[in-house]
Amino acid sequence: MKKVKIRAKNLDVFYGDKQALFNVNLELNEKEVTALIGPSGCGKSTFIRCINRMNDVIDICKIEGSIEMDGYDINDKSIDVVELREKVGMVFQKPNPFPKSIYDNISYGPKIHGKGETKDELDEIVENSLKKAALWNEVKDRLNEPGTSLSGGQQQRLCIARAISVNPEVILMDEPCSALDPIATAKIEELIDELKTTYTIVIVTHSMAQAVRVSQKTGFFHLGKLIEVGKTEKIFKNPDNKMTQDYITGRFG
Amino acid sequence: MNKLERLKKRHSAEKRFKFYGIASVTIAIIFVLILIQNIFSKGSSAFQKTVIKVDVFYDSELIELNNGATLKEIYDADFYDLTIENLLKTYPSKNTDEEDELLKLFSSDAEYEIKNAFLKNNQLIDKTITLEITASDDIDQLHKGNYPRDLPEDRRSITDNQLFIYDYFVENEIINKNFNNYFFTNGDSRDPELAGIGGALVGSFYSIIICLLIAFPIAVLASIYLEEFAPKNKITDFIEININNLAAVPSIVYGLLALQVLLATLHLPRSTPLVAGITLALMTLPRIIIPCRASLKAVPPSIREGALAVGASKFQSVFHHVVPLALPGTLSGTIIGLAQALGETAPLILIGMVAFVVDIPSTPIDPSASLPVQVYLWSESAERGFVEKTSATIMILLSFLIMMNFIAVYLRQKFEKRWN
Amino acid sequence: MNSILILLITVFSITLFFYGRSKSKIWSIEKSVKLKALPKFYGYYLVLWCSIPSLVFLGVWTIFEPVIIKSIILKFAENQGANILDDNAANLLYEKVKSIYSGNFFGDIDFVLKESAVSYAKFLNLFTNSKIVLVFTLIIASIIYSLKKIKNNNKARDDVEFILKGLLFTSSLIAILTTIGIIFSLLFESIKFFSVINVFDYLFGTNWSPQRAFVRDATTITAAEYEELKDAFGFIPLIAGTAFIALIAMLVAVPIGLFSGIYMAEYASIKVRKFSKPVIEILAGIPTVVYGFFAALTVGPFFREFGESLGLTVSSESALAAGLIMGIMIIPYISSLSDDVINSVPQSLRDGSYAIGATQSETIKKVVIPAALPGIIGSILLAVSRAIGETMIVVMAAGLAANLTINPLDSTTTITTQIVMILVGDQEFNSPKTQSAFALGLTLFIATLILNYIALRVVKKYREKYE
Repeated sequence: MKKVKIRAKNLDVFYGDKQALFNVNLELNEKEVTALIGPSGCGKSTFIRCINRMNDVIDICKIEGSIEMDGYDINDKSIDVVELREKVGMVFQKPNPFPKSIYDNISYGPKIHGKGETKDELDEIVENSLKKAALWNEVKDRLNEPGTSLSGGQQQRLCIARAISVNPEVILMDEPCSALDPIATAKIEELIDELKTTYTIVIVTHSMAQAVRVSQKTGFFHLGKLIEVGKTEKIFKNPDNKMTQDYITGRFG
Repeated sequence: MNKLERLKKRHSAEKRFKFYGIASVTIAIIFVLILIQNIFSKGSSAFQKTVIKVDVFYDSELIELNNGATLKEIYDADFYDLTIENLLKTYPSKNTDEEDELLKLFSSDAEYEIKNAFLKNNQLIDKTITLEITASDDIDQLHKGNYPRDLPEDRRSITDNQLFIYDYFVENEIINKNFNNYFFTNGDSRDPELAGIGGALVGSFYSIIICLLIAFPIAVLASIYLEEFAPKNKITDFIEININNLAAVPSIVYGLLALQVLLATLHLPRSTPLVAGITLALMTLPRIIIPCRASLKAVPPSIREGALAVGASKFQSVFHHVVPLALPGTLSGTIIGLAQALGETAPLILIGMVAFVVDIPSTPIDPSASLPVQVYLWSESAERGFVEKTSATIMILLSFLIMMNFIAVYLRQKFEKRWN
Repeated sequence: MNSILILLITVFSITLFFYGRSKSKIWSIEKSVKLKALPKFYGYYLVLWCSIPSLVFLGVWTIFEPVIIKSIILKFAENQGANILDDNAANLLYEKVKSIYSGNFFGDIDFVLKESAVSYAKFLNLFTNSKIVLVFTLIIASIIYSLKKIKNNNKARDDVEFILKGLLFTSSLIAILTTIGIIFSLLFESIKFFSVINVFDYLFGTNWSPQRAFVRDATTITAAEYEELKDAFGFIPLIAGTAFIALIAMLVAVPIGLFSGIYMAEYASIKVRKFSKPVIEILAGIPTVVYGFFAALTVGPFFREFGESLGLTVSSESALAAGLIMGIMIIPYISSLSDDVINSVPQSLRDGSYAIGATQSETIKKVVIPAALPGIIGSILLAVSRAIGETMIVVMAAGLAANLTINPLDSTTTITTQIVMILVGDQEFNSPKTQSAFALGLTLFIATLILNYIALRVVKKYREKYE
């Protein structure tokens, strides 16, 4: 029985007057991949952005209810958001490497958090992160080249390596493959499979096939509500809710 | 350093950084406020002038005029003795030295003011009227509280005796402050109490009009050509590079250009708004072309295509459809360019607008000054009275600039259509 | 005379418009031919042909006539034995001739003057008459030509538009003309200057005191005079003074401007930004003569008194005062440009940095600014160019003595101050002193050109990265 890493309780999210999420209750288990599916604009991205409090960047976003990680309410005043984001990493829809060298892209996080004081320590961290992201062999001879000189798929793996570099516990992925070709996508799905042994992963995806391939648990969102959540196999083979069934079979979305 | 310490350090670095930002914005805003406060406090007194009440008796024995004299007769008549006689009546002097000192309290304009009253009403022979005669510059400053009375006598220009007479005037309520019409109607003068920006205002006005008349049509036509008709070749690129360069050339270089081409080669008249206008036009051309092109660029292709589709020629589509839409942005940029031209000083100094011009120029080919050049000229003078005049001129200049900028922004906001 | 001619041309043009318009209608009916354009375009065609060549001709003639007449008369006077070896004497003679012609001359008229005046009257008459005849000939020729064309049913609208397009193109050439004018003006006098003073003496000389250069005519300098002169036009103290004051200005403007720009782009709420951005830009709109006045009247004396109270000798025209005020003026150039440049860094980069757990200041310092760096550097270079070319603040608040100093409490002079000082006093034509002002202008022009070019290239490269 897996331990619950993150728990959302009665979560409501507002953008100004518009409500984006309605009373979401969802548990994410550690060292497991949870997929969030649903049609466009149903609130999946909004949800995962709450987990690392990226919504703080948006002035008009208001949160009610709670999200707990390891039992602590992450929105509590006593929580330092900077520390939280060290523990919860994020990979974005469009790869966004910094306009720096590959090496500096990876070493940026550890340096800020004081995780690598000497050059040797940093070198090690960079190598490990790139290895874990299955990118090391492709770039080990050109660490000083800019991150932006890599292909789309490589850039995304670079971003994953960057997220890994600070040793997080959770990795959030917001449609990480939607800008990539099938081969690159396959490589990343392979990677996710390996990563789940170390990290808790939440992945938002448009592709139901992908959800089936990579996740163990799936949550279905529609218009800001969590319609159904459960083991991936169950959701896709015989969901309890009719709306879920309709979505799975392609009746809408 | 452990985790907690490190976090604290990072957060205080964050706070410091944000503080630097706020401090910088605040400092910049404070500079603006200090500048404006300084100028306005020094300049507001210039709008008043000190006057001394004199009962003027037009003694027929002292001037050779009769009631009903013609204008020419009055102009030619000598009012000097009459003036002295009447001014001396204002205070019981004990000796001729004191009389001289008393006379010095009045502006050199006194004779003209007494004559002027007679010009307005030529039935005053052997009658008395009360006139408010302009006081001299020192008394003017003294009455406005700008004069260091407390200095020892040998270090100031007003003698103790004159101070005594002044206090007498104040006690007897003979001395007053009026609206300083001279500031607006007179040209330059060696006497600060008589100096005005009339000449500079007209000079600036003519210069800007000429600048506008030359720069606007050429700039708009050039922009239309470059944006709508020019082929993409080396010549066009070269023209564009030139325009961008010219916008960034220091203004004094334009002064040198004017000196060499307009004055030395073409022998245009020095110190005139005509030459100033041409020089300013050359400077303002790129400053109009750049926003005009941006406005033209912003008009979507669909407008042009729509016109062409109904059979209009390229020319007609541009002039009937595109240009009107680009007009607000163009006008806005033009007004801002003119505002910058209004404040230009260095090139105008070089073409000689530093002449001491007393008469208000009546045409653009009369020598004149301009507002900013007048500021420069007066700031070089030693007399205390010019400080307030200079500051007041700046106030007028800034008011024009603020007004022009407001109009430009208003035009842009009200009439410009956003195309997305 | 010109106004009469212009009036005539206008009257002709208006008449021709209506004539062309109506005649074309009539002809098309008479000949049963379809017009190739709307009637009004035939009218326009005639107008353009009638007015443009004659007006251009008139303009060119008017501009060059005085110059040509002057050289003719001076040549004539010389042949009559007048002594006009240098420009001053020549100008004086010519002014007298003109005064005699207009009846305003009250001095002695010698033989040469009298003959020159007679000759002047003759040539003036000749030129004016020629002008009238030629203008009329042009008009008539143009009318004949264009009438023939419209009789043959030309595509009037196309022709009119072609001519108008030519006008547009000519307007845009004005920009090139201006640049040529600038280069010509600067080079013309500079070449004269450098024929007297060696370029290297100028560029590397360390003493600038042009008051010494009292030589009236540059073509008659003796070797001994040159020995004295060549040390008077050293450029080094001027570039040093300019750079020093510009440096002080940048020390003020860069931190305040950059941090203001960063704050407004990253931290400020919309309300704060809406208020502070325009207020700061007021600093850019204030004419520099106002800054100069403020610096000379308030800031300079303040520093002097403050310094004295601390026991230091501070000049009332200290480089510090001038530099400080110049810095204030430059703040908005840096803050506005930085604000724009920082705003255009894509949000995705910031998101990537926040997601790793960086604070906002860390993100700005390590991700945003490095990404925006070329644009920021470009804005700083443009600001430096502005500082170097600034005139009024330094004329009014900085000193006139060209001394090499690194003490900000001293006074020092700049390139622009010297240009103004040299050209404002009594101008001696053809003296190295006046010409040196143009040499300074040339140096300034080249320096700012290079700076602007580098700055624009840098900003352009940056824009290409993100757009």
